[in-house]
Amino acid sequence: MRYIIGIDVGGTNTNACLLQIDEAHQGQVVKMAKTPTVHENLLFSTKQVLAEISRDLTVQDWTALEIHLSTTLITNAIVEGKGDPVATIVSPGPGLCLADAGLSIPLSSVGGAIDHRGRETAPLDMDEIRNALRGADRQGAKVVAVVGKFSPRNPKHELAIEDLIKREFPEFYPPTLGHRLSGRLNFPRRVNTSYLNAMVARLQREFIVKISQTLQEKGLSLSPDPREVPERPRRKVFLLKADGGTISLEKSVTRPIETILSGPAASVMGALALTEARDSCTVVLDIGGTTTDLSILVHGKPLAEKDGAEVGGYKTVVPAFFSRSIGLGGDSVVRYQAGRIRIGPERAGKAAALGGDSLTPTDAIVLTDGGSFGDRHRALAVMKEFCQKTGGSLQERAEEINQAFCQQVVQAINGIFAYLNSRPVYTVSEVLTPRELKPEKLIGLGGPAAYYLPRIARLLAVPYEVLPHYEGANAIGAAASRPTASISLRVDTAFGRAMVPELDFVSSLSHPALFDRKKAEQLAIKSVKEYAGQIGALHPGARFEVDEEEVFNMVRGFRTVGKLFSLRAQVKPEVIKVSP
Amino acid sequence: MEEKEACTVHDLGLVFFPAFDWAISPDHPEREERLLYTRDQLMEEGLLDLPGIIEYRPEIATEDDLKRTHICIPSVPVVASKSHLIAAGGSITAAKAVMEGRVKKAFALLRPPGHHAMRLVHGSRGFCTINNEAILIEYLRKNYGSRLKIAVVDTDAHHADGTQDIYYNDPDVLHISVHQDGRTLYPGSGGPDELGGPGAYGMTINIPLPPGSGDRELLFVTKHLILPILQEYQPDIIINGAGQDNHYSDPLTHMQVTAEGYAELTRLLQPDIVVLEGGYAIEGALPYVNLGIILALLGMDYSRVQEPNKERDLVIAAPEVLETVKQVVGFLQEVWSKRRDINLDKIFGSDPCWRRKRFIYYDTDDIHEQQGDQIRRCALCSGYRVIHSWAQKRNARESRVAVVHLPWHACTECRNKAEEAYDRLNPGAQLDRVYLQDVENDLFLEK
Ligand SMILES: [Zn+2]
Ligand SMILES: [Zn+2]
Repeated sequence: MRYIIGIDVGGTNTNACLLQIDEAHQGQVVKMAKTPTVHENLLFSTKQVLAEISRDLTVQDWTALEIHLSTTLITNAIVEGKGDPVATIVSPGPGLCLADAGLSIPLSSVGGAIDHRGRETAPLDMDEIRNALRGADRQGAKVVAVVGKFSPRNPKHELAIEDLIKREFPEFYPPTLGHRLSGRLNFPRRVNTSYLNAMVARLQREFIVKISQTLQEKGLSLSPDPREVPERPRRKVFLLKADGGTISLEKSVTRPIETILSGPAASVMGALALTEARDSCTVVLDIGGTTTDLSILVHGKPLAEKDGAEVGGYKTVVPAFFSRSIGLGGDSVVRYQAGRIRIGPERAGKAAALGGDSLTPTDAIVLTDGGSFGDRHRALAVMKEFCQKTGGSLQERAEEINQAFCQQVVQAINGIFAYLNSRPVYTVSEVLTPRELKPEKLIGLGGPAAYYLPRIARLLAVPYEVLPHYEGANAIGAAASRPTASISLRVDTAFGRAMVPELDFVSSLSHPALFDRKKAEQLAIKSVKEYAGQIGALHPGARFEVDEEEVFNMVRGFRTVGKLFSLRAQVKPEVIKVSP
Repeated sequence: MEEKEACTVHDLGLVFFPAFDWAISPDHPEREERLLYTRDQLMEEGLLDLPGIIEYRPEIATEDDLKRTHICIPSVPVVASKSHLIAAGGSITAAKAVMEGRVKKAFALLRPPGHHAMRLVHGSRGFCTINNEAILIEYLRKNYGSRLKIAVVDTDAHHADGTQDIYYNDPDVLHISVHQDGRTLYPGSGGPDELGGPGAYGMTINIPLPPGSGDRELLFVTKHLILPILQEYQPDIIINGAGQDNHYSDPLTHMQVTAEGYAELTRLLQPDIVVLEGGYAIEGALPYVNLGIILALLGMDYSRVQEPNKERDLVIAAPEVLETVKQVVGFLQEVWSKRRDINLDKIFGSDPCWRRKRFIYYDTDDIHEQQGDQIRRCALCSGYRVIHSWAQKRNARESRVAVVHLPWHACTECRNKAEEAYDRLNPGAQLDRVYLQDVENDLFLEK
């Protein structure tokens, strides 16, 4: 018997759950806990809720314990612009002007170019790079990010700059290199991602130290045990990522950017852990105090962002669940404009019924659904005031607020589906067999979900399910998540070359003409295993799969000269099924 | 919400459809791989994240959409594959976005191409089966106003003989094709003396460029001939058939145009709708040319769109080449300015009908077609047309059809005569099928 503690640091509350895991890897909720989130000190909230949730655990239990933490630390740092000053060295090559790429960060542009097939078309000038690094030093940069256009197709230039930094500018070592963060093509996003990763690296290191200290106080050592093998129970801390997987706390030091937006991911993982969700299309709604997060499951699998997560206005290449946040929650502002009620997007503050001053959707719930919580008299008082200003009876207005809330959610859901159904596709067969998505079921979590979900479902005429432990189901989601890792393999048999940018792997093929699809798949799986080992994602029972595959014949002058393989392989994303 | 709001007007709508699962044959230039490197370049540039650009999924053109332009023999499904319907549909998607004001300009970056497809379609020629631009034009005229003044500027290296065939006698469509001299390249046609039928004389302009012509020649033609003509004609819509095989690295042609030259051309032309045509230097040209065109359409800086090794590979043409081009431009300037004063009888004879006999070769499908074509010379409209076509495909029976075509805004007399002609013509020993195409009434009959 072993235990997993899941902690989700949310905008309003920090939730925790204790799961007991049986031999068949099934989870059982033992206990839930929550505490208000203290924004200035996320660690404090984390410690508090950890103390509470682990109170009854024995020393024995602690030895086989995993802690899964979903924290907003890095997301908040990015949104608030905290972190170290970064020198971002980019080698944009020919193409779009750097000034037009929509990048809002200071960049230091150098020469050198790689083309779309990974050929070096212009060499680097090392003196130019030395100058750029000296300039960065003078301007007070503390960390460096290095990104070249098409670096996932050939990381040679980025690696050469890293080597130069190691030898001549050790104060900037190690830099963040673009190609290691993603094998997907999108230079501006890779620049943003590398910049942010470098910016928050120190914060992440400090966080790792502090969490380790906290746990050491509890007698839980985090230093990796050299004899540790995957089969043994682990005493480890994992951080939740935007793609619903985990990364080990220690390994997150080189890729802190992947821990952004873990909150919405935790909600989705909660829905996956607690339900069967086999319907062809399910909307997961996490209705909180300030925002409602909407995600989509298709045949029980979370839909992913096409290009990567967006955080604090930065478009990144970080793999993430598709999630849209609308400024609509239990604590939102309620307005009456042009004969209509509008809710949000700003937060009004605590509901009157819960000790605040302003009218919020929560107060309307207290009045209409006979909510068994809050101070009905306080809710009544603010509602009366609202009715005096706007006319209309008390019950009517309260009901209208509920309706307006639900209609705004429905509107957002419809907008999302319109967008999803218009997404471009690039093959004849995809155009001919359009997967027209439409909401077929709702799953809800978050405090107000129990009240709103039935109404929203009625408006959409679909069934719904409110998750057990809906207030803290995202903590269950964090606990139920498993490590994820993915790599990109590119094989160009005309050049006789195979490469996996995430691994710095570049190799010559011994028999390019004999390289085929099967060999490509084998190499991709081998690579993802190696990578998973490097980032601590090699959990017992981990399965691996090729999840994207593209093969093109290369023909030059009516003669086939080779094949291009582009594959993605991943640790199969999994979730621990949890009974409430 | 990060989705680009539907209510804002974007600078450019992009319909990107690389048809990664369709080829004429595995090693044909028109194969799966053709837009692969273009996709890679556009993705790596992060172009679709730019706020001014919005990507649309192509729709599928319907049989009715095709029948407004073509007579597919024996039928639409036999001639046009699904990928053809998507390429034509994607062109319609692009055009709609412009007409509905959702975008300022649109680029249908898709394949297979279409500008060699003529009104009658027995199969594929010049890698083309159905004419994407013509199908979108007929869609626009049907849905957004039959009197729209349209200009097509085809900048593919090959003469746009298909588009020319469809609009040769159409007074509302100005068709300008600039291409490598037909005496040196497929399909061979497109001389400066091909100027339109009796109902639309001067509305077809062909500008052959000598092999070796580059940016200098192309931009000279644009500035001194195409732009002044457009300035005078004042079209409601400018469509650019943007073939990219004038590029100096194209394997099928002998031109020296660069990506920057294409971008500059686009900036000067300011087309409303751009439709990709040919272009087979898939690695060395297309990624850069397409990027250049997109940036020019967005009004952005394209000066850094430079092919690798351009200095090494580009050959600047001798000054005599520009001199030859200037002569052609001079000739066409004069024709254009005097087009209304020309005595058409001198060109087309004084018969009530203008008759042509033509041989058309379908290189892609190896079909030999013979056409007898007569157009009524009418003072009130551009005149109805009767086409007899005999097509011979290798190892197949000869196919013999007759087509009666009624143009937009046909007069009552032409309409009556056309209907009589259709009644008179019947399938039998001489004819397999007879068709009536009445574009204005969206009527397509066959027997
Ligand atoms: Zn061409
Ligand atoms: Zn007439």
